[in-house]
Amino acid sequence: MPSMTRAQTPEAPATRRRRGTAGGGWKQTTINRAFLVPAVVVFLFLFVVPLAQGLYWSFTDFTGYSPEANFIGFDNYVRILNDPSMLSGLTFTLLFAVGTTVLVTALAIPLAVQLNKAFVGRNFVRSLWFFPAVPSMAILGLVWSYILSPLPSGVLNTLLADWFGIDAVSWLSDNTLARISVILVGVWAQTGWHAVLYLAYLQSIPAEYYEVARIDGASPRQQFFAITLPLLMPAMVVSSFLLLTNGLKVFDLPYTLTNGGPGFATYTITQSLVVTGVGQGEYGLSSALAVMFTVAVGVIGFTQLRVTSRIGRRFA
Amino acid sequence: MKSPMTRVTAGAAVLALAGSIAACSSDGGEADGVTTISFLSWTGEEQMEPIIEAFEEENPEVRIEASYSPPVAEYIQTLQTRVLSGTAPDVFVVAAENKTNLIDAGAVVDLSGEPFMEGIQQFNLDTYGRDGAEYGLSLSSWAAGYAYNKEMLADVGYDSIPETWDEFLVLLQDLQDAGHTPFLESVDQMPTTVSAMLGAKTSEMDPSLDDEIFAGESTFAEQWTPILEEYNRLYTEGLVSPDVVALDGDQVRDEFANERVAIINAGPWIINAVQEANPELQWEFGQVPGLPDGMPYQAGAAAPGYAISASSDEEKQEAAKTFLTFLASEQGVEMFHEATNDVTVTENFTPEVDPVFEPLVTPIRDGQLYLPMIAWQRDEDVLNVEAVAQVQRMIQGQIGPEDVAAALDAKLSS
Repeated sequence: MPSMTRAQTPEAPATRRRRGTAGGGWKQTTINRAFLVPAVVVFLFLFVVPLAQGLYWSFTDFTGYSPEANFIGFDNYVRILNDPSMLSGLTFTLLFAVGTTVLVTALAIPLAVQLNKAFVGRNFVRSLWFFPAVPSMAILGLVWSYILSPLPSGVLNTLLADWFGIDAVSWLSDNTLARISVILVGVWAQTGWHAVLYLAYLQSIPAEYYEVARIDGASPRQQFFAITLPLLMPAMVVSSFLLLTNGLKVFDLPYTLTNGGPGFATYTITQSLVVTGVGQGEYGLSSALAVMFTVAVGVIGFTQLRVTSRIGRRFA
Repeated sequence: MKSPMTRVTAGAAVLALAGSIAACSSDGGEADGVTTISFLSWTGEEQMEPIIEAFEEENPEVRIEASYSPPVAEYIQTLQTRVLSGTAPDVFVVAAENKTNLIDAGAVVDLSGEPFMEGIQQFNLDTYGRDGAEYGLSLSSWAAGYAYNKEMLADVGYDSIPETWDEFLVLLQDLQDAGHTPFLESVDQMPTTVSAMLGAKTSEMDPSLDDEIFAGESTFAEQWTPILEEYNRLYTEGLVSPDVVALDGDQVRDEFANERVAIINAGPWIINAVQEANPELQWEFGQVPGLPDGMPYQAGAAAPGYAISASSDEEKQEAAKTFLTFLASEQGVEMFHEATNDVTVTENFTPEVDPVFEPLVTPIRDGQLYLPMIAWQRDEDVLNVEAVAQVQRMIQGQIGPEDVAAALDAKLSS
C-alpha cells in the first residue's frame, strides 16, 4: 500500500498541472464566469429590476405621469380582491390555460405520430399543420371573429345553414359558446406547432425498439403506450410548460376575438393589466395585479414541472 | 502597424462624430435664430407633413421636429414614457384617455387667454379644460348617430328616423314585420344610443349629470337606470337580437352596406367604406331619437387637443404657441380639414362634408355631443370597461338595467 501511495504521489502535481492546463485554473474559471456576465446583467436589468420596481409600485399610487408615488400599503391588493371583473378574468385565464394545455397535448401527440409516418405529400401536410402558428394571434382572432360571427351572414353559420339547414348559432354571443370558441381557436392555432415539437422527439426514438416490439407481437396500440408515450415524456414536459405559461399570459386572442365579452365571460388577467395600467394610468394597481399574477404563475408553473417530472421519472 | 491614411481617416471620423454631437447639443441651431420644437403627432405623417411644411415656410424662425405615434394606446404609452422620463415633446396631444393624468401631473400649459383659443367652440375648450383653465387646442369634433337605408324605411312608409323613442320602436316593429332586420348596434363600446340619450339628459341639467355623480350628489343608479330601461326595450321587446354583444363596428357596417339591416349606429368613419362597398345605396345619417322628456341627440366628442409641455423652456413654449396659432388660423384649419376629413368647429372656416352626413354637422358645430368616457372626471377607462361589460350582460338578459347602474356606482366607489 505505502509503495502505491508513493507511486501515486509524484503524479499528483502532474495531475494538478494537467487540470491547470486544461481548465486554466482560477484564471480560466474567472474568464469562463466572465462570459456569464452579459446574461446576468440582462437578467438583472430586464427581469429582477422591473420585478422589484413592480413590487414597490404595487404599494403606491404611482400614475406613470409623475415620478411622485405615495405609499398606500395594501390598498391596491384589497381593491383587486374586491373586484368581480378581476375574479372573472382569473377564472377564464385559468380555464384557457388548462383547456388549451390538455387539448393541445391530447391532439398534438397523435398528430405527430401520424406526421412521422411515410406518405405522399408528407412535408406539405406538416407545413399545413404548422401554418396557424405563423400569423400572430391577433390576426387569427380578427379572422375568426368573422368566421364565428353569430349573424346569419357569419361564415360558419352560412355553411351550417346551406349544408344542414341549421339556424344561426350564437358562437360568440353566448357566454359558454364564446369561452369554448376562444379555447378551440387557441387549440387550433397551437396544435401544429406542438406537433412539430413532438415530431422532433419522435424522430429520436430508435426504430429498433419498434422492430423488437413487433417481433414480440406488440400491437400498434401497445407500441404507442409502451414505447412512444414514455419516450415522449421529456417533450411533454417542455410542451405543457410552454402551453401553460403562454395560456396564463394570453391577451391578444380573446382581445381581438371577443374583446373579453360577452360581459366578462372571456376577460383575461392580462387584459385587465393593460386596461388598468396603460389605459387608465393606474400603475400602482396594475403592478399589484402583476405581482399577484406572477406569484400565481410561479406556483402553477413550479407545480406543473414537479408533477410532469415525477411522471417522467416513473415512465423512465 | 497602421498606415498614415488609416490614421487620417480615423481622425476625420472622430472629428465628424464630435461635430455631429456638438450639432445635436446645440439644440437644433437656436444659435442662428431658429428655435426647434419637438412635436409628437396623433395624426399620421402623410396628413400632418404638408401642414408642418406650410407652417415652416411661413415661420422660418421655428423648426418642427415631428415624430409620429398611432392613436390611441400606443400614443398614450409613448407620451407617458416621455413625460415621465423628462423628455416630453414641446407640443403633443391631450386626449380623453390622458387628460386627467396630464392635468393632475401639471404636465400641460394653461392656454386660456391665448389669441389662438378665441375662435374655438366652447364645447371643445371645456372638454380639455378644468377650473377655468384650458389645456388643449381642439380643432374638430366627431358625432355618431344612426345611419339608415332610405329604401327600407320607405317600404314601411318612413322617410327619416322619427324624433321620439316610442315612434322609433314602432318603426323597428314595422321593419321587422316587413321582413327586414330592423336595427343593429355594436356594443363592443358604449352603445351610441345610451350615450346620446344621456347627452340629451345632461344638456338640460345644471350642474351636469356627471358633475352631480362625481361630486357624490347623485348616483349612476339614479341618473342612468331610466335611460337603460328604455334602451333595454330594444331587446326585451324582441326588436334587436342579443347577438349584437359579439359584433364590432366593422361587422355592423358590412351588414348595412350589404343591405341586410335597415338602421345601424355609426359615425363618419363608415362613409368611405359603405360608399365603396355599395355605391348605389341610398342612405343618410340621423340623430338618436329622444325620450319623452328629452330631445334627439348624438354621441360624440371633441377631437384630441394640441397641448404645450409645461416642462419646455420659455423660448420653446413661445415657438409652440406660434405653431398652435398657425394650426388655429383659417389656412391651418382648412389644411387640417382637407387632410383628415374631420368636421372642424372653428369660427374662421366652414368645412364641407359628405351630403349623407349633413344632418349631424350642425349638432357637431353647436357642440351638442356627449360621450360618457370623456365626461367622466376620473377612472374613465375602468368605468368604460365595466359599463360595456354590464350593458352586454343586460342585453343577454343576465341582469337588469338597475344592476348595470349599481355596478358602476360600486366601481366608482372602489
